[in-house]
Amino acid sequence: MAIKQGGFSRKSKTSDEIPSSSLADIAFLLLIFFMVTTVFRTDRERDIIWPQAEATEKIDEKKKNILNIWVERNGAIFMNDQPYTMEQVSEVVAPLYADSDRRLVISIRGDREVPYSTMDLLQDELVAAGVVRVVFATEMEQRMTRQRR
Amino acid sequence: MAVLNNKKSKVSDEVPTSSMADIAFLLLIFFLVTTVFPKDSGLPIVLPEESEEVEVNQKNILHIVIQPSGVVEVRRGESQQVQTVTPNDIEGIWRQDVSSNPNLIAGVKTHPDAPYRFMIDVLDALQTAGADKISLQILEG
Repeated sequence: MAIKQGGFSRKSKTSDEIPSSSLADIAFLLLIFFMVTTVFRTDRERDIIWPQAEATEKIDEKKKNILNIWVERNGAIFMNDQPYTMEQVSEVVAPLYADSDRRLVISIRGDREVPYSTMDLLQDELVAAGVVRVVFATEMEQRMTRQRR
Repeated sequence: MAVLNNKKSKVSDEVPTSSMADIAFLLLIFFLVTTVFPKDSGLPIVLPEESEEVEVNQKNILHIVIQPSGVVEVRRGESQQVQTVTPNDIEGIWRQDVSSNPNLIAGVKTHPDAPYRFMIDVLDALQTAGADKISLQILEG
């Protein structure tokens, strides 16, 4: 009895293998972490307050054919994270328009308080570049908020 | 007695992990289903081509002037009578006027100092009313 219970030959109850049952959980955790944090990188959002419109509709064009032109409240213009002056817009847009096989859509993302003169100059630049398809980017507006305004 | 004490308990001393994979899959499927890729949206408009100028009969133009204060002045064709309204009223005005004249064109003239959002409000009202012939101009003089 004593030999059976207390002998040195008794196997340890602790397993001699690395516990691998939780590896799957770690993998899933990483997977979920990256799924949640991944942002498909386009250009960085500028600090603008979007105008709202009820007639907002989705742009029916592939993402690579959409060029965002950001117009900040002070009139600063950004394309692909780079600042540009008003005069440079048509020079930048025209070659992109030619490369896109005339399918390029310009999404004008202007702050709601930008004076309209800036927007008019921008439209002139786009016309000079030959672009005709333009979208004034807006946020979807619900009818309830519209009536309160 | 010693034998009794050494008897293994029937309850497992491990944390049950067999359902962890199911939970992970549930979360995975949840995020797969709920992920939405944001799509660009806005008010589409087609700009005129350069040097494209079309003579339009004054009768077919609905002049809409947007002032810096957000006040909108509506003038029909050749008449000099000015109606002062808000951007939201444009929707009704357009629906009413276009039913009597299907060739109607909206000439939106915005004051250079007017905030962009008033132009968007008017454009929104026009597009909500189904207008497709819209001309965007700047108020001169």
